[in-house]
Formats: sequence, C-alpha cells, structure tokens
Amino acid sequence: MEVIDLRPMLAPALSLACGIIVFLVGDRPFWRRFWSLSAATVKLVIVFSMLPGVLQGTVYRYSMIEFTPGIGLGFRVDALGMFFSLVSSTLWLITTFYAIGYMEHEHERARFFGFFALCVSTTVGIAFAENLLTLFLFYEMLTICTYPLVVHEETPEAMAAGRKYLVYTLIGGVFVLLGTAVTYQWAGTLSLAGRGILDISVGTQALTLLFVSFVIGFGVKAAIMPLHGWLPSAMVAPAPVSALLHAVAVVKAGAFGILRIVFCVFGVELLRDLGLGVWLAVAASVTIVTASLIALTQDNFKRRLAYSTISQLSYIVLGAALLTPLAALGAIVHIANQAFQKITMFFVAGAIQRTTGKTNIHEFAGIGFQMPYTMGAFTVAALGFIGVPLTAGFVSKWYLSLGAMESGDWIFVVVLITSSILNAAYWLPIIYMAFFKISPGTHLRIKEAPLLLLLPTLVCAVYVILLGSLAEVPGMPLSLARTAVEYFFGQ
Amino acid sequence: MSSSAILPLVVLLPILGAALVVPLARVSERARSTGLVVVTVLTGALVVWLVPGVLRGEHYSIRLFQMTPTIWVHLRVDPLGALFAVTAAVLWLLAVVFSFGYMADGHRKNRYYSFLMLALAWTLGVSIAGNLLTFLVFYELFSILTYPLVVHEQTPEAMRAGTKYITYIIIGGGLVLLAIMGTYFLAGAQEFGTVSYFESAQVGRTALLAVFWCFIAGFGVKAAIMPLHGWVPDAHPAAPAPFSAVLSGIMVAAGSFGILRVLHNVFGVELLRELGVALPLTILAAITVLVAAILAVPQNNLKRRLAFSTISQMGYVILGASLLSTSASIGAYVHIANHAFMKGTLFFCAGIFIKRAGIHDVSELAGIAKRHPVTVAVFTLTSLSMIGTPPLSGFISKWFLGIGMLDAEQPWYLAVLLGGALMAAVYLLPIVYTAYFKQPSGAVQRLPERQGRMEAPWSMLLPVLGGATLTVVLGVLAWLPGLPLSLAKLAAETLP
Repeated sequence: MEVIDLRPMLAPALSLACGIIVFLVGDRPFWRRFWSLSAATVKLVIVFSMLPGVLQGTVYRYSMIEFTPGIGLGFRVDALGMFFSLVSSTLWLITTFYAIGYMEHEHERARFFGFFALCVSTTVGIAFAENLLTLFLFYEMLTICTYPLVVHEETPEAMAAGRKYLVYTLIGGVFVLLGTAVTYQWAGTLSLAGRGILDISVGTQALTLLFVSFVIGFGVKAAIMPLHGWLPSAMVAPAPVSALLHAVAVVKAGAFGILRIVFCVFGVELLRDLGLGVWLAVAASVTIVTASLIALTQDNFKRRLAYSTISQLSYIVLGAALLTPLAALGAIVHIANQAFQKITMFFVAGAIQRTTGKTNIHEFAGIGFQMPYTMGAFTVAALGFIGVPLTAGFVSKWYLSLGAMESGDWIFVVVLITSSILNAAYWLPIIYMAFFKISPGTHLRIKEAPLLLLLPTLVCAVYVILLGSLAEVPGMPLSLARTAVEYFFGQ
Repeated sequence: MSSSAILPLVVLLPILGAALVVPLARVSERARSTGLVVVTVLTGALVVWLVPGVLRGEHYSIRLFQMTPTIWVHLRVDPLGALFAVTAAVLWLLAVVFSFGYMADGHRKNRYYSFLMLALAWTLGVSIAGNLLTFLVFYELFSILTYPLVVHEQTPEAMRAGTKYITYIIIGGGLVLLAIMGTYFLAGAQEFGTVSYFESAQVGRTALLAVFWCFIAGFGVKAAIMPLHGWVPDAHPAAPAPFSAVLSGIMVAAGSFGILRVLHNVFGVELLRELGVALPLTILAAITVLVAAILAVPQNNLKRRLAFSTISQMGYVILGASLLSTSASIGAYVHIANHAFMKGTLFFCAGIFIKRAGIHDVSELAGIAKRHPVTVAVFTLTSLSMIGTPPLSGFISKWFLGIGMLDAEQPWYLAVLLGGALMAAVYLLPIVYTAYFKQPSGAVQRLPERQGRMEAPWSMLLPVLGGATLTVVLGVLAWLPGLPLSLAKLAAETLP
C-alpha cells in the first residue's frame, strides 16, 4: 500500500534546517549543541514514526519537483530505505553525543557541527531516494558535506587525504551519473520502486557495461578493491568523523547504492540471466580476504580499523551478489551489524587517543587496566566481528553463509569462514595487548575516558549483543530486512 | 514441565557466581571462597537433582529465545548430557577448592575465579544444549573465554601456549561452524532427540561426507585427535594446575562430547554404517591412543607427560564411540567421567608438587614420597586406575570398551586397548618408582624438614583425596544407579 505522506520529505528537510541553524549560531556552545542534537533527534523521531507502518508493508512517498516529465526529486520509504535510515539516524544521535565530548577543545567547531548535521540530512536523503536521480543528488551532496570533516585538522596530511577523498569519490560520482543517464535512456524511468526496470532486450553486453559502471561508481564509496585507496588515508580525520565515514554514512551509502542497483534497477531475475552476480561476488571475496590480510600488518589502530571496514563492507556486496534471499537478508542486516560493531571500535580508538594519546597498537600494553570499560566494549565488538554466537556479527555470517550455500557456491562459505578466522587474527592481538601483555604485579591506575566518550561506546557495545541475541524480536533490524527481502524476491 | 524451568538456572548460577567474585573479594578473601564454593555446590546439586528424572526417562527441555525463525536456544537434558554435566560440576568443585590452596599466593585471582566460573557455565551449557546451534553458542564461548585461564601465569611460555591454543581453537571453531551451517542447510532445523538430523533428509553422499569430516576436524582440534593435538601438550604445563585438571578432564572431553553428538544426534548409527566413515575414524583414534602414549614416555615435565596421556585417553573415547556397538559406546561414555576424575586427580597431585616442592619435572621427584606420602599414594592409586587395574574406575571403561570390540567383531582393536594400557604403565609407573625408591633429588633434599603440620593445606589435600575416592567408588560401586555407568548405559541405549 502506497501512502502520500509528508514525513519522507520532512526527515531530510528538518535536519537540513537544523544544520543551517548550527552554522548561524556560530560559536555559542549551548545553542550549537542544542541544534546539533535536535537535528539528530528530530530525524530519529520522524524515521521511527514510520517504522510500524513500513513493517506492515506500507510505503510512504512524497514527490517534490519534476525537472522534466518522469525525472524529478522524490522520496519514498520502503523497507530497505527504512532500514538504512534507521541505522544511520540511531547511530547519528549517539555519534553526536560522542562528537560533542570529543571536539570540546578543537577549533572551528561551528563548521564541524554544521557539516556534521548536513550529513544527517543527505544520508537520509539517500535512504529515502525514490529514483536514481535523487539518489545521485544526495550521493554527491554527501561527498561535498563530508569533505570539510575529513580535512578538519587542516594539517598538510589531512589536506592531502581530503584531496584524495574528493578525487576518488567525485570520479565515482561521474560513473553513477553515467549509469543513471544510460539507464534513463534504456528504461525510460529512474524509479527505484520496483524489482528491476531494465530489460534483457537491451543486449547482454550493454547491460554488463552499465552494471560495471554502477559498481565502479558506488564501489568507490563501498571501498571494493582496488577502489578503496581513499579510505585508509581519510583516517587522519577526527574519530567521530571516521566513525561517521566508516560505520554510518559514506561507505554505507556506497553499499546501499549497490543494493539498490542489484535489487531495484537490474532486479534479481535479470542479473541471474546475465550471470553477473558471480563476478561481483568474486570481486567482493577478493576484497574480503585481501583487506583482512593487509589489516594484519597495520600497527596504527585506525588504519587497521580502516582495512577491516574495507573487508567487512564487501560482506554486504557479496551478500547482494549471491542473489539468493538468505544472502540478501545477511547483506542487509550486515549494514546494521557492521555499523554498530565498527562504530564501537572507532569510539574506542578515539577515546584511547583522547585519554592517553596512543594511536599505535604496540603502545596499547596494559591499556585494558587503565580503561577497562572502553576495552571491554572493544572486546565485545571484536567478538562480534569474529562471529561469536549471540553477537551481531554471528547473525550476518549465519545468513550470508546459508545464502552462499543456497546459491550452490560453497566456496563463498569458505571465504566467510576464512574471513572470520582472519578477523580473530587481527583483533585478538589487540585484546592480548590490552589485558595480557604487561607482566603480572604491575599496577596501573584506572584512567577512563570522559563520560561523554564512554557512554556512547558502551551503548553501542550493548547494541552489538542485543542485535545478536534478540535478532528475532519484531521491530529489530532483522525483521525489517526480512520485509525488504520478501519484496525484492517477490515472496 | 515445571522442573524444566531450572535448566536455565544451571547456566545462570555459575554466571552469577562469576559476577559475585569481585564484590565478594572486596569484603574479604574468605567471603569470595565461601561464595565460590556455595555457587559451585548449588550448581552441582541442581545438576545431580536432574539425574533421577533422567534415569526414569523424563525429558527436561526448555526453549529460551529464538535465534532464527526456526531455531531456538534450546536446553535439554538427555542421559549423555547429564553424564557430562555431572562430571563437570563435580570436577569443578574439586578444582575450585584446590585453587584456594594453589592460588593462595597467586596474582589476579579475581580474574582467575571469574573466568573459572564462567567456564563452568559454558561447559554446562554445552552439556545441556538441545540443538546444534545452542551447542555452538556455548562451545564457542567455552573455547574463547578460557583463554585468560590458559595464560593465567603470564610467563612467556604461558603466553606462547595461549597463542597456540587460541589459534588452534579458532580455526577448529571455524570448521565446526562451517559444518553446523552445512547441517542446517542440508537437514533443516532440528533438535537433538531420538532421531538424528540427517535421518529423514535426502542428502547426497558427497555433501554428507564433507559435513562429517568438517565436524571431525573441527571438534578433533579440541578432542586432540592426532595430528590436531598440538595445543594440548603446551597448554597444560603452562596453565595453573587446577585449570590443567579441568582442561584435561572437561575441555578436551568437550571436543569428544561434540564428536559423540555428531556421531549419534547428527548422523546416527545407521547412516554412519551406510557412509562407511566410522572405520577411518576408528583408525585415527587408534593411532592417537598409541602414538600419544609413546610420545608421553620421554616427557620429563610431569604436566606435559600427563597432557600426552590425556590425548591418548581421549582417543579411547573416540575409538569406543566409532565402533558403533552398544558396549563400546558405554565404555566410551563412562570413560569421559572416569578419565576426568583420574586425570583431574593426577593434575592436582602435580599441582601439589609444584606449589609445595617447586618441582615440575619427573626426574626431580626422586624420593618425594617421604615428604608427600599421601599425595604420592593417591598418585599411585590413580595411575593404577589409568592403566586399567581392577577394580578401579579405569578398569570399568576398559572392560566395556573391550567387550564392545568383541561385540563389533573387531578383536584386533583389543591390541590397541592393551597397548595403550601397557604404555600408560610405561609412562606412569616410573614416576611412582622415582617417587618411592630413588635417592632423594636435590630439589627434594632442599625442602625444609617440616612445612607445617601437613604435607599440603586441606584445600589441596581434600580434592586429591576426593578424586581418589571417586576413582575407587566409580570402580567398585560402578553399578550403583545414578553413577556415570547407569547414565552411560541409558545413553547408549537411547541415542540414535
């Protein structure tokens, strides 16, 4: 059932307004905090208000402008979009709290929080985009809005990373635009409402090229190798930004774009006929394993996190590429699971950096005794990535693997298992460093992170366990993902 | 059924105990010790309380919460699970009490006791898991969250052993997960019960074989089937003695327990016969029994020698189970309990030698019987049992295993059984000989004449004596209903 409703438009618009107000209030801390938190809260409330309807199959839509007939700006809330916006707005609220604590003594806070709030708006725009053009528009806006955050430190290193980020993502954007234009040419519509708008009659080769163009375009942000170069460099940004880039918005926007292309533009049937899924799955598998191997060698904590992100994102791509319902379910739910696990880790990285000034793993000896709660949260997230049952990571891995079996390609199950062993190989040494490295008898004083950094970290860690053990409770992300999958596979 | 409602308590109680460790330690050391004993005894009592019902054939079972639309976290007690749970709970009580003496001057005791109690919770969870996924949940927690116990001493050797341990276990866990996912994919969501997972599923032979060997390789790492045993001889000497006891008696056995579940509840005897996979498994087990026993002989470090003995003895369990005859299965099941108490006791003795005399190596034990008469006497008794001397508990296991081999019309495995027993004599009796009859070594001579009134504190002697009593009781009175043998018999009759 489709309902015309103002809320799909209000969610991005109101948070956009709040973002602009943040710019206007400038350097008045109270009002800046007030409007930053309002932006995040308002969005969360609006998004949540649509959740019960979406779970029952209602689709909310709102069209704004038509540029030319059939092409316009429109918002539409289906289960997949709802899923993405729910995850990003929940995390955004938590991250805003963290950012307020983290950025306390930084410069240019008005700019930082202003753009931070603008990102809220654009991400939800991506999630709710009704057609490819709207998606593209917000996708590009996200790039622009995150640039000032990436270069926030304004060191030469940060500026270089920012340039690299822009070059990669803008070139990616060009490919998306190219794909969008070609799609319109062939399909006569850009709608993302169906289960595929393209038709095999266009020709296999042409469709393959179109698919590749889209995968390159969105793959830059989704960091499919070898398009991942910007991500490790962008680690110079402050921790809340890294959290935002990695867990919530930017990379997920890429992964979300790929999901939209696979399920809504091409459709499962067409991709099966074209036989393109396997190639994408292979590319994703290579990324999963290679990035994990590189992560093993990184000593800088945030760089290790960055390569882990690259590896984990390809879980989502792999799940989409397998073209089976269970794999798709795993892919979608991994958006949430990876987000909560990774954001916990970034919060930990930021808290350690702020409290002790340490950024390299070999310096972490004994840190578990100085910051027991922070490292406890890290341990939970690490166990999640390894895929220990009852944590969020297990749920994703379970459905992805079953989906891989369903597709008949058992090799991808082996890839997933290998990946979780590699995850153990690069996360456990950090726990070892933190809790077991120092010789017994040494007494370290507890020196925890400030509450504003610690609480968001702990909240996310608790979420990791809730997402794993209560996955089947209605209203949890899994139920929403299931609604989306049922629609895409026409069940 | 209302009594089923206590099943979650079996797991929750030790977790509560773990949570209480730190607050109680704030009060006093004594409060912590009391709390630990109370919690362990209560947990043990709960588990034991289930036994009469299980023997009557009652089915305790409870579904807790959903993990997927068709799979629940499901707790269920069957005779085999009850056998393992009772063994674990009782051995844990001994180990906890022994720890009070052993760890008296140790460091980070709160961490040690917390994780020890958590490990009990996970073990009991493994025993009463009602389906494969629930099993996996507790199995993985048990594997990963015991790392702090393995490396507890934090010496360089302990850290290396810990790294080796976690590497082996994670890879093994990955294989188990792979196999479990394969099973759910091929057979659908089922529960452990009177029907095996694959009984009604139409599955191709290749897939079944792949899943089977994946399971064996995964669980085999923990069950120390050769050549997957690498972590065992390093982890045991490195860990604190009371945890070595648990490591040998329960942790390695948890791998074997997993294999038993796979053989019976996942595949079922019929299907295994059809697939013809039992024979290669039997051969692997036979090799493990003999080779590990031979490797044990030259080890000078006492705990290392005992670790190889564990590998060899756990081979018996797999050997017995893979023969697919009822008597051999009874022998295999009852050996899990018997071995746990025997090996636990031996490690407790080794712990007394380490803490009271500072002796780690067999060669330095010369003449120690004069200073530690009780400990050496118990060591001797338990060694004899391990070799299979009637009427001690080790004999009971061997007897049923032997009968089973004859039943299965494969008498040549008797050679393995006797060979293993012979080798046990070769690696254990020289220790006894050294302790009694050799001239006191330097280490022993350097010991002060009298260390208090007794050779060791009560907290260390009681578990040793308790273990010795169990070794005798489980041998002489093995037929008493409620003891492991009755559960093993029932398990062998009822498992698919």
